[in-house]
Parts: sequence; structure tokens; C-alpha cells
Amino acid sequence: MKLQHKLALYNTFTKVAIIAIVGILIAIFIGKVSVSHLQNRLVEKRNKLIANLSDAEISGLMQQQSSFTDYNLLKEEYIVLTQARQQEKRSVGPLFTQEQREIDGDEEEYQILTDYFSYGGQLYRLEIGESTLVTRQFEKTILAFTLVVLALSVGLSIIADLSFTRVILAPFYKIIDQKLNRVDDPLQFSFLPEKTTTDDFKLLDSSISTLMKKISAQMLSEKQFITNVSHELLTPISILRTRLENMLNDEGLSPEGQVKLAASLKTVSRLKSIINSLLLISKIENKQFNKANQLFIPTLIHEICEELQDRLAEKNISFDIRLSHEFTATGNQALLHILCSNLVNNAIKYNRQDGMIFIADEYGEKRYTLIIRDEGVGMDAMQIEKAFERFEKLNSTDAGSHGLGLAIARSIAVFHEFPLTITSEPGKGTTASIAFGTS
Amino acid sequence: MNVLIVEDEKSLAFEIAEFLSQQGYIIEHAWKKRSAEEKLFGNSFDFVLLDIGLPDGDGFELLKSLRKIPGREDAVIMLTARGSIDDRVQGLEEGADDYLPKPFALSELLARMHAIIRRRHKLEKNEVKVHDFLLNIPNRTVSHGTERLNLTRKEFDIFNYLVLNKNRVIPRMNLTEHVWGDILEINSDSNFVDVHVKNLRKKLSQYSTIDWFETVRSVGYRITI
Repeated sequence: MKLQHKLALYNTFTKVAIIAIVGILIAIFIGKVSVSHLQNRLVEKRNKLIANLSDAEISGLMQQQSSFTDYNLLKEEYIVLTQARQQEKRSVGPLFTQEQREIDGDEEEYQILTDYFSYGGQLYRLEIGESTLVTRQFEKTILAFTLVVLALSVGLSIIADLSFTRVILAPFYKIIDQKLNRVDDPLQFSFLPEKTTTDDFKLLDSSISTLMKKISAQMLSEKQFITNVSHELLTPISILRTRLENMLNDEGLSPEGQVKLAASLKTVSRLKSIINSLLLISKIENKQFNKANQLFIPTLIHEICEELQDRLAEKNISFDIRLSHEFTATGNQALLHILCSNLVNNAIKYNRQDGMIFIADEYGEKRYTLIIRDEGVGMDAMQIEKAFERFEKLNSTDAGSHGLGLAIARSIAVFHEFPLTITSEPGKGTTASIAFGTS
Repeated sequence: MNVLIVEDEKSLAFEIAEFLSQQGYIIEHAWKKRSAEEKLFGNSFDFVLLDIGLPDGDGFELLKSLRKIPGREDAVIMLTARGSIDDRVQGLEEGADDYLPKPFALSELLARMHAIIRRRHKLEKNEVKVHDFLLNIPNRTVSHGTERLNLTRKEFDIFNYLVLNKNRVIPRMNLTEHVWGDILEINSDSNFVDVHVKNLRKKLSQYSTIDWFETVRSVGYRITI
């Protein structure tokens, strides 16, 4: 979940909680206040009634009856006056209750005041009731209003939070995108600070910059090292090679001497191959190649097979090429040529006498896969794992092989992010497949 | 033809000089950028073999200042141990005629120099007599009398290379590198060069004896003219 959404969600949650608590408190408070208002009014009414009471009135009220009941037209309030016996009086002062009362067939809830008073030696029980309907409605309105305000503020706060955090987090995403995602070559890194007022992002930005400075320094020194190595090693090899070549044509040289010199030339050439291969791996791993070339795979494969044609004769190997898709890969032309050529070359090198090399392709799951299968000696699982390691030669008696072919193939595959997999069965053959991305 | 070798590594410069003087070239040396500049401003050369990494400067700068001198057409072959594609591109863009990564074969250097000569002097005789055969380099043909031999591209390349480097033993590896390019992992024990040489010899020997086309056992081949 994005930080922006998390923050918005958290804010919404806390706001809902606060508003809900405040809403409940208000509801309770209003309930209490309205009840106490009602009770005060009832007390006032009782006092008024008792103060205005006179003999005539009371006898008028109680004419022929031992109790008197009256209510107004809308049944908002009622009054009951009854004669009471002395022992009925239990409490001193008025008593408030909230009860259902049925008046003239309508049942309603009333706040009721019950009181006893003496008048002219006679004890009376007075009951005044006032309908709670109005206060209930008032409470409901307040509650509804609170809910509406709650919903509105939640909605508004989500929108406000989202847009606010978006603005606040914009520099963060910009830093991630421009300073991490889009950096292919740390040497091309822009050290200009991103504009932000948030200190945390400034810290992030400066930390990335520091890291990049370290990485660039290391890469530069590695590049420097490669340049030095290639110069310091290839120059003496160059001297050796030209000198041996000149010696080979010395008139006084014996045939044995000639053979030995030729063998030395071969060794020098092998040394050159190893250095160049290591330099190539190093350059690939330092990403010193662009990968924007367009390569039509069927053409590439036919070119490679044509180039390697001459190596088939020795073991009478033949190609079976069945490419059914017209796929164009994006990558570095020279490197992809080396990758495919190394795989085909291995299929030749480790094949059996009269063996076949099958080259096929598949298109599925957004990937184009090139499959190169031989019928050679094969490898077990452990050998496959080792095959990618540098200087690992499997069953190879070839003096010209230096065991870097697959290591190079793998670094090229990793550089292009094209998964390279090798499956094999000892004695039956090896299958190499490269999954080219589609772009 | 005179050649200026601009190379700070003396042993290498002397080996190249020894080889080229055997081929009839007149050699001058320059060990540093400054001395090379002096020689280049004083004299014109048919070939300048230019090392990129010089102790007091860059071979590219030297190339630039050479190309600024009006009326000069010295052919320049860049030599470098840096071996990067960028160097190659930069060298050719700034007017080098060719580029050889170290370590190169002397026979390859000679082949490149001949290619430049052919490109520059189109009117020079283009046919080389190899005993009874005539080698026509621009047309890439070999003929015997009026009959033209039917050679494959690789057979022609091998024949041409051996003729260019006549009277010298050419190691098999140099031939492979020349014909198949500088493949990173050469199966040097493979005999695929031999197959082509065998076919070439078979085709040539149909017309005359070819005792001048020698196989030097375990080493390579030599054509004596």
C-alpha cells in the first residue's frame, strides 16, 4: 500500500473516531439537558399549581371524585390529582420518572413528576406529565446532523489528505524515479539536489548522491584498471607475438625450432584470448555497452551457423534450423552475436560424432525463446552449475578452449536481462535456451 | 615506401621495423608524440603506424594535427592495446585508414597495408603473378592462362593472404584470424583451416604442379615466389 493511501486512511480513521466520540457525547449531553429542562418545568408547574390552589378550586376539582385528571388537547401534558392516604407518602420532595402512559387511547412516553402535598389537612398526590416526544425528536435531529457532518468531513478529509500527501510526497517519487530507477550508468548521474522542503527527502536525496559518488568512483577506478590491465598486458603480448613471428621466419631456424615457436605463438594467442575474454566480461559487467540495436534473430542465427560451418566437418555434425517466428531483439549487436555464437560453438564442441544441432524457437508468455540443442556428452546438474563459472572446462580436451565461453554468455544474458537456462542429461545432450524480452 | 612507426614500446617498434624492412619498406621511428610531430611536419610518409597511448600525449591528437596539414595523404593505421570499440570508431572518424588492436599479427599488418595501397592507388597493377597463376585482387579471381579457377571466398582469402606474405611461414592461427576474424575462442586444435587449404591446393594442382605451396608441419603454410 502506498504511503499516501496509508496516511489518508489513518487520518480518516482517526477523524471518524474523534467525530463519533464527540457525537455520542453530544447526544448524551443533549439528552441529559433536555430531561433536566423538562423536570425544571414540571417543578415550576407544580409550584404554580400549589400556589394557586384554593379551597374552592380543590373542592371544585375533586367534586364527586376522589381523583382529578386533565390534559391539554394535543396530549403534550397531563395532570392527575388524587387524594392520598398518609401512609402512601414515601419520599420527601418530588419524584421524577420516565414512563409510558396511555391517555385517551394514545400511548406515549412522558416525563412524570409525582409529589405529595397537604392541603387543608388532606394529603394529595399530584402527578404532572410532560411528553418527551419533542425532546426525542430534537435529539434525533441533532444526531442526524452530527452524522451528516461526520460523513461530509470524512469525505472531505480523504480528498484533502490524498491531494496534500501527493504534493508532499511528489519530491520523494521524483527522487526515486530520477535518481534510482532511471540511472543506468552511475557515471551519468545528476548530482543536482531535488527541490523539496521536507528534510527527510533532502536526507534521502543527499544519501543517494553520496552512494552514487562512491559507486561512480569505484566504477571509474575499475574502468581505469581495465584500461591499465589491457594496456599493460596486451603490449608485452604484442611484443612477444611479433618477435616470435619474426623468429619463425629466420632462415637458420631448424624445423624443430619452428614447431616450438609455432606452439609458443599459439600459447601467446591463447593468453590474448583469455585477457580479451576477461576484459569483455568486465566491460559487460560494468555496463560499458549500449543495448539499443535491433537484431533480426533468424538472420543472426543463419549468420552464425554460416560462420561456424567449417567446424562441423571434423565430427560430421549437421544443423537442423527451424525458426518459425520473425523476431527482432533489442540489445547490443556485437554482444548478442557473441552470446549466440558461443552457445552454438559449445553445441559443436561438446557434440558427438555425426551429431545434430537443433535450433528452434518458441513464442509465448510475452517472451521469444531461442532453443539450441545438441546430442553431445551432456552434463549432470552439478556440472551445469559449474559450467557458468570462469575457467571451467568440462570434458574438454581442446587446448584452445579456456572455459570462458559460458561465463561470457551468462554475463551477456544478465546484462540484457534475457534469462539463459541450460538443461542437460548426461550422454544425451544439452539444451540451451535464451528468453528474449519483447519490447 | 617509407613508414613512420610512432610507438613508445621500443621492442615492439623494432620487431615491426625488422619485418617491414624485409618487405622493402624504409623505416623511421618516433618514440614520443613530440618527436613524431617533428618528423611528420618535416616529411611526408606513405604509412604512419600510430600508437594511441603515447607517454606525452594521445595518438588521436597527433592524427588530428596531421590531418590539418594541407596536401598530405599519409596513410594512418592506428595501433592500440585499449581494444575498445569506441577507440576504433574515434580513430576511423578522425581520418585513420585502419585500426589494429594489439596484439596483431605482422602478416595481418602487411595485409592491411596492401589493402590501403590498393584502395589509394587504383591504377597500380592489380594482377600478381604466382608462378603459372594470375591473382587479380580487386576482382577476387585466380586464373591459369585463360581459365578462371572456381574458388570459394575463403579459399581466395587464404590464397591472397599467403601470396601477400610470400616467402614467409604463416602460422595457421594467423590465417584463421584473418579469414574468420578475431573470434574470442578459437578452437585452435580444429583443422577447419586445413580443410580449406586442402581444397585450395586440390583446385590449384589440377592446372600445374604446386611445389611452391608448402605445408610446414605443425606450423602453417608458405608460398614461395
